Amino acid sequence: MRFMVMIKADERTEAGVLPTEEELTAMGRYNEELVKAGVLLAGEGLHSSAKGARVVFSDGVPSVIDGPFAEAKELVAGFWLLDVKSKEEAIEWVKRVPCTEGVEVTIEIRQVHEVDDFGEAFTPELRAKDQELREKEEQLRLAVRDDR
Amino acid sequence: MVIRMADEETEAGVLPSTELIEAMTRYNEQLVKAGVMLSGEGLMASDRGARVRFDGTGRTTVLDGPFTEAKELVAGFSVLRADSLEEVIEWVKKWPVEDGHGNARIEIRQVVGPDDFGDAVTDENRTYTVDLSGR
Repeated sequence: MRFMVMIKADERTEAGVLPTEEELTAMGRYNEELVKAGVLLAGEGLHSSAKGARVVFSDGVPSVIDGPFAEAKELVAGFWLLDVKSKEEAIEWVKRVPCTEGVEVTIEIRQVHEVDDFGEAFTPELRAKDQELREKEEQLRLAVRDDR
Repeated sequence: MVIRMADEETEAGVLPSTELIEAMTRYNEQLVKAGVMLSGEGLMASDRGARVRFDGTGRTTVLDGPFTEAKELVAGFSVLRADSLEEVIEWVKKWPVEDGHGNARIEIRQVVGPDDFGDAVTDENRTYTVDLSGR
């Protein structure tokens, strides 16, 4: 089962405060543990919402709203994509996320859909296309990683 | 990162129709062909999820879903590679109108790159911080 684990934003992340060397090292060690256990599929940090935008559709017509957005604690500051056997295993991993003392942090865990969840609506043709696109996306990810 | 925000239907666990899956597949295919789309996933309703709260003293509390404020939750996401926020906005404006009955809400957020951490990246921590990103 795959789970998306999202660190929620707070005033600090929304102010654009980047992690200290100590925090980055602690998070790196944690990520390394996830890799060694074979559970980390992906992970990224996000810039503050001031650098983002929203596109809101109303009856098919898009409007663009520039960030920043209010309700910092509802925003996402970063995420991991984990491959684990149960929600409980995901929770156990999340409890070990290194958090700075004195800082309250909320981390949300959400199960990722698999193709079988969609039943007959996901026709064999669409499944084949989905697989083809995922393979191409992986090639693009590898190319981006090589660029770094 | 392009986030499809949740709504009452996604939070009720309403699954997409073949027509909607087709429309999203066509859209994703354009993004892949343009070399823009790196990944994308849909999430189950928040009643299958949980939250872990850290109180700042090392204590954690686990709260099971569902969570309120459906329109602030995440229902799905894609990671796109583009040269500017404006380019991503142009792509998102072409989001299939079949989704959310023409009323989808999409949030665009820039992903932190390896050069953004400045001096916090050291020779010691580089291999397990920067090199792990972009997986």
